[in-house]
Amino acid sequence: MTDPLAGLDLDQHRAPPTLLPRVLLATNTADGYATADSPLGPVYVAFSGLGVSYVTLVEEHADVETYLSSRLGRPVFPLQRPPVRLARALEESLTSGRLGRLPLDLRATTAFQQRVLAKTAEIAPGQVRSYGWVAEQIGQPRATRAVGTALARNPVPLLVPCHRVVRAGGRLGAYSLGGAENKRRLLEHEGAPFD
Amino acid sequence: MSDPAWGRLLARDLDTTFPQLVEATQDRLHAGVVRFVGDRTLADDICQDVFVRAYRSLVQMPDAQRLALRVRPWLWTIALNRCRSWGRRESTRPLEVELDPSWADGGHRPHDEVEETLVWRERLAALSDPQRTAVVLRHVGRFSYAEIAHITGRPEGTVKADAHRGVARLRRALETEEAR
Repeated sequence: MTDPLAGLDLDQHRAPPTLLPRVLLATNTADGYATADSPLGPVYVAFSGLGVSYVTLVEEHADVETYLSSRLGRPVFPLQRPPVRLARALEESLTSGRLGRLPLDLRATTAFQQRVLAKTAEIAPGQVRSYGWVAEQIGQPRATRAVGTALARNPVPLLVPCHRVVRAGGRLGAYSLGGAENKRRLLEHEGAPFD
Repeated sequence: MSDPAWGRLLARDLDTTFPQLVEATQDRLHAGVVRFVGDRTLADDICQDVFVRAYRSLVQMPDAQRLALRVRPWLWTIALNRCRSWGRRESTRPLEVELDPSWADGGHRPHDEVEETLVWRERLAALSDPQRTAVVLRHVGRFSYAEIAHITGRPEGTVKADAHRGVARLRRALETEEAR
């Protein structure tokens, strides 16, 4: 006689591959990522339901998934395109150089870094400020070096314009998105004064 | 991983642990929901809903409660409730929608999978609700009778009897099938 339970337990059964990404994206415990155009060429943009969490140059990554998930401390999943409610504001931000209404998800950064980024986001296209200016503005005038470190680790370059923060005396200083040459290109494109 | 370990990890770092929890529990849970509702596409939606609800509930939960949580039985309790209320809400769904073999992501459910699910749905329909619940929790969820009692809120002796009677019914259903 046949075992009445044979086959009931679906022994090797796997949940559909779409279940995990759907659940994690819906709970903001993972991010999606897609490509977008930027003044520096194609970029990967990562985002959760809370906002954009990371921007990085496509050309710099052979394995962007590993890179993003280690930087964000969450799994990431490739998507066809950014979600509709972000897409428009994102495109506007990338072309205008202003953050505007684009929401950011900065959970992977420290409270200090968030203050530095918020202040930096206020610098308009065509302007530059020094690291010392940012430090003063956030009420920690002696933290110039820490401001430099915080901006070097800016997870959302271009959107938070860390390229508009330069060294005292007008020298450019470092830039995380492909090096100092890109910083110069961006500032020239925006018509900012620097030597 | 045992339930106390999950509880401890969830209490310590919810957002890092939750993806691991989903990954570790989704296959069995999905199998169980397939048997509860007898429809694989519907099971996809219910499982997503179960995990999202579980997460929202975990966010609200004090650390001490997370720490004490029997995580896997708790997830299946949510699943069981969702299967029941979903059944009520979806009871007017036309049959052809349930038979739709396409994956949510554009692929296709193999035909024999759909067939197999329907065969088991029919067999399990011969059981009473408590019997079906006990049989699926025992043989698909792989829970102990103590855990099944915890999940269903019924005495251990009762759920054990339900499971045995359920299996006896399945045997009779199978004999009828084979005699056909």
